[in-house]
Amino acid sequence: VCVCVCVCVCERQSGVICVCVCVCVCVCVCTVRCYMCVCVCVCVCVCVSGKTELLYHLLCRCVLPVATGGLEVDVVFVDTDYSLDMLRLVNILETRSTSSPSDEAELRSCLSRLLVVHCSSSSQLLLTLHFLETSLSSRPGLALLLIDSISAFYWPDRCEGGASIAKQEEKLSKCTELLGRLLRDYRITVFATCHAIRRSYSGPPSSSSSSSSSSECDRPYLCRRWQRLVTHRLLCSRQEAANNMAATAGGSVEQRRRQVFTVNCTSSSSSSSSTTKKAYRSTSFYVTDGGVEFI
Amino acid sequence: MVVLRGGMCPGLDEDLVRGLRAVDIKTVEDLVSSDIEELAQKCSVSYKALFAIRRVLLAQHTAFPVSGADLYEELLSSTAILSTGNPSLDKVLDSGLYTGEITELSGGPGSGKSQVCFGVAVHIAYHLKQSVIFIDTTGGLTARRLLQMLQAETNNTEEQMEALQRIHIFRLFDVFSLLDCLYGLRSGRLQQASVGGGSVKAVILDSVSAVISPLLGGKQNDGMSLMIQVAGVLKTMAKDFNVAALVTNHVTRSGSGELQPGLGVSWSHIPRTRILLERVEEATAVSHSSLRSATLIKSSRQPCHIKEEFDLQWWSRSKEGSSGKRKLDETDS
Repeated sequence: VCVCVCVCVCERQSGVICVCVCVCVCVCVCTVRCYMCVCVCVCVCVCVSGKTELLYHLLCRCVLPVATGGLEVDVVFVDTDYSLDMLRLVNILETRSTSSPSDEAELRSCLSRLLVVHCSSSSQLLLTLHFLETSLSSRPGLALLLIDSISAFYWPDRCEGGASIAKQEEKLSKCTELLGRLLRDYRITVFATCHAIRRSYSGPPSSSSSSSSSSECDRPYLCRRWQRLVTHRLLCSRQEAANNMAATAGGSVEQRRRQVFTVNCTSSSSSSSSTTKKAYRSTSFYVTDGGVEFI
Repeated sequence: MVVLRGGMCPGLDEDLVRGLRAVDIKTVEDLVSSDIEELAQKCSVSYKALFAIRRVLLAQHTAFPVSGADLYEELLSSTAILSTGNPSLDKVLDSGLYTGEITELSGGPGSGKSQVCFGVAVHIAYHLKQSVIFIDTTGGLTARRLLQMLQAETNNTEEQMEALQRIHIFRLFDVFSLLDCLYGLRSGRLQQASVGGGSVKAVILDSVSAVISPLLGGKQNDGMSLMIQVAGVLKTMAKDFNVAALVTNHVTRSGSGELQPGLGVSWSHIPRTRILLERVEEATAVSHSSLRSATLIKSSRQPCHIKEEFDLQWWSRSKEGSSGKRKLDETDS
């Protein structure tokens, strides 16, 4: 199992797909000797924390042609709570693609690499994942599965399950099992977003956040099988405006008003028997018209 | 959770259903997740038949993937932006209410949420000539107020009546009747309401927190699940019928003392755009000022914390005297 950290490099060699999440984390999937399939969980601390923007960033990276800095792979977007804003996505694609503006054909070809599925319940999610298995085998270019969000059915499932926790978690466990199998057999990468359900009542976040201050808002609440499947957890949060006012005192008024979002990544290796968390890194980004801009 | 029944698909007869139930396969999900070979042996059915049944059931119940290009085309042709009638509010909302999305207005008591809802309904019914569905859970809607707003737009009583007829009102006070109403709308009443008056373009729910917040808290999970269910129906209705959903919400104080919208973190992911309404504190203390400020707290299109001031009396200003600018010193009379 090899994990290498490189700075914002995305390249595609034969069978090797390198997906760069942000400056700090890059996971390299090698098919030569050993391979690691990555399942990443993106968790949010507060409501507006830029996680959908991160997904758009990933989407654009994957879907744009190689000439403009993309990877030209197919992506499946499983949308459980209708949070995909196509107009915003197209906006980002148009801003990013360096070819002539309003190039309809290129935009269409980029968008045709994206498959969107809407699910309205966890049983439909399970059935859809089964159905996607056939798509995965027929479209070898499919490399990325985005799920937004995996926690959308948490409360309905909990209510349906009644008093027994096993019954409550049953459907998500089945989905997770299936996802694990898809990861192993088809060697795709999965990114899933997960909403926070508890507000953090700690004081204003300090700029130097250590791993101990990852407060109650990031305590995992989905089923245990899901926690075991996740190899990387990205915690997104929004910094208080006061902090960046001081930092960008020399910048323009518009810069000062921009929200700064931070991402903290903890990755746990699946091969180690103990669940020691290694490689805690963090980075920050702005949201601009062209999508996410890392600082 | 779809239970297996005889006749759901060709090849699935009652005997087979009984046989499957004997090996603990009761739902479509169970059938799809299990190993077909094993199952064929246990139920003594041919592998081919069972595989075909599985494929048909999967095709019937799964959600179909749509290509991004097709989705974008569809969205371009069907999305509409509905102006609220007030230019400052439109600026905060990035030119208006978008169809296919949920927009949330939150504010404390007296901050003008209901008035904004009435103004939006009147604007859509009169200027845009489209129908509006107004679900009132607080009892604050009176036709007299709507008429008052319409009388400021036109003196022609026929036009007033026409516009009033385009606003369909539902009054309900608990979450189960709300769900009933929404499901009914989704399964056909929306089309019925469109007949003879322009299609329904907006569903206004004032207010969602009045029916949901009594259910939250405590150890019961039912409240959260019902909230997510309401959100789900609203969203699918907005998407499928291309309507703009506008909901109102109350506010609470956060740990650090700031105002934040109510209904908790789980609700905060549901609306696409959120606006916080507040009274404007003025130095010249006019006690019944109709000025309010709208702050954008969540948006996928604009940077947050854009703040605009607007006048609640915009929707009932008289046409003759207005010069196109907001009258800042107008007081309630």
